[in-house]
Amino acid sequence: MVPAAISTSPSVTSCPSRRLSQRKSQSYCRTVSTMSNHVSKSTLSVSVNSIADPDSRTCECFDLHNELVPYGKAWAWQKELVRQKKASIQSGGDCPDTLIVLQHQPVYTMGTGSSEEYLNFDTKNAPFDVHRTERGGEVTYHGPGQLVMYPIINLRNHKMDLHWYLRSLEEVVLRALLSAFSIKASRLEGFTGVWVGDEKLAAIGIRVSQWIAYHGLALNVTADLTPFQWIIPCGLRNRRVGSIKGILREAYSSINCGYVDVLIPGECHLVDIACDALIEAFAEVFQLEVCRKPLTEAFLMGKSF
Amino acid sequence: MASRLLWASRAASCLRISVSHRGFSTVLKDFKYCDSHEWVKVEGSSATVGITDHAQDHLGDVVYVELPEVGTPVTQGEGFGAVESVKATSDINSPVSGKVVEVNEELNNAPGLINSSPYEKGWIIKVEISDAGQLNSLMDADKYSKFCEEEDAKH
Repeated sequence: MVPAAISTSPSVTSCPSRRLSQRKSQSYCRTVSTMSNHVSKSTLSVSVNSIADPDSRTCECFDLHNELVPYGKAWAWQKELVRQKKASIQSGGDCPDTLIVLQHQPVYTMGTGSSEEYLNFDTKNAPFDVHRTERGGEVTYHGPGQLVMYPIINLRNHKMDLHWYLRSLEEVVLRALLSAFSIKASRLEGFTGVWVGDEKLAAIGIRVSQWIAYHGLALNVTADLTPFQWIIPCGLRNRRVGSIKGILREAYSSINCGYVDVLIPGECHLVDIACDALIEAFAEVFQLEVCRKPLTEAFLMGKSF
Repeated sequence: MASRLLWASRAASCLRISVSHRGFSTVLKDFKYCDSHEWVKVEGSSATVGITDHAQDHLGDVVYVELPEVGTPVTQGEGFGAVESVKATSDINSPVSGKVVEVNEELNNAPGLINSSPYEKGWIIKVEISDAGQLNSLMDADKYSKFCEEEDAKH
């Protein structure tokens, strides 16, 4: 069954690209106290140092968070980076880690063992492109208003432990949500991802090849969540998908604030804040010095695919 | 608990299995191992390949196994398939070069066999070895046990 009215025009069009400001990520929504009475405390902690080690390794960062990158291009780019890192390690050298942050045009992606039973449409008549990838996890949706992070990192330089890595990716999102939006999100044991109540805000799925991890996480900031209704996201039937914008609106509405739309920043701004917070949290959790690379370099790499 | 450990060690030595004292990761004596945690059992020019108890323990519940087609060439140290466990899919690398002659189709329906029986029912592929000399670069059971201990200690 294909939904009748499919809007493919993103609710957040490509924002006028702006130079990344040097401002620290603003902690927003101070007036909103505990977001939810039923958020369970994170039961799995990741032991990390909160202050960056002066001898920390570098990580090159390609920040395309204001760009809608076709999935295929980003996927090919990741695989090329993995190939380069493997070659570098093979020849006895080392390689810096890489972090890509971007948005995608609307697309569905499936993992290695993904079942088509979690698609509420026929793949021959899908509302958006469907890519079957080599990452773990079931089907998910990517689209405008959702920040996607692809860390391509050599776990030999961190911890050769996939569970630690998944928990660390969750930690990145948990910290970003708290620092930037005062949202106390949590883990749900047995269900990888980041949750507020029974709403999943961030999905995670990775691939590891010779200890180089790629693919990554997707955090709903202002995304239109309708396309999630056309799948069973991550194969979880009794859970919902949420977004930062949705959580903030709910919080403001619950305190009977009549000025919800005025008080919540514009969508582009929310995405900017979330992106900065994610990158900062990533640097903290993985003890990396993040060096932002110019976009021109990213585009040049992208154009070769 | 101590008496159970003793019983387990005795049973293990009867079965010619060496038991690591850290978390019961088993290592079988007649197999060969590589540093990406695959094992190989050689019988003439044929080899059976799987992932070790240490590997399956670290992975957690295997939910999916990506198997190669019969006839696919494999190269020592390179990926030939993948295992997925809870949102993470990782390569399985071949300890030997050769050609895949059989795959364990059971894993399509029961990927958990890799967890419950990593050295027997959880075997992944059978390979016709092209270069028996490569086996010399692999670790024996004792060396592999030590390798695992060192790896775990580092992290």
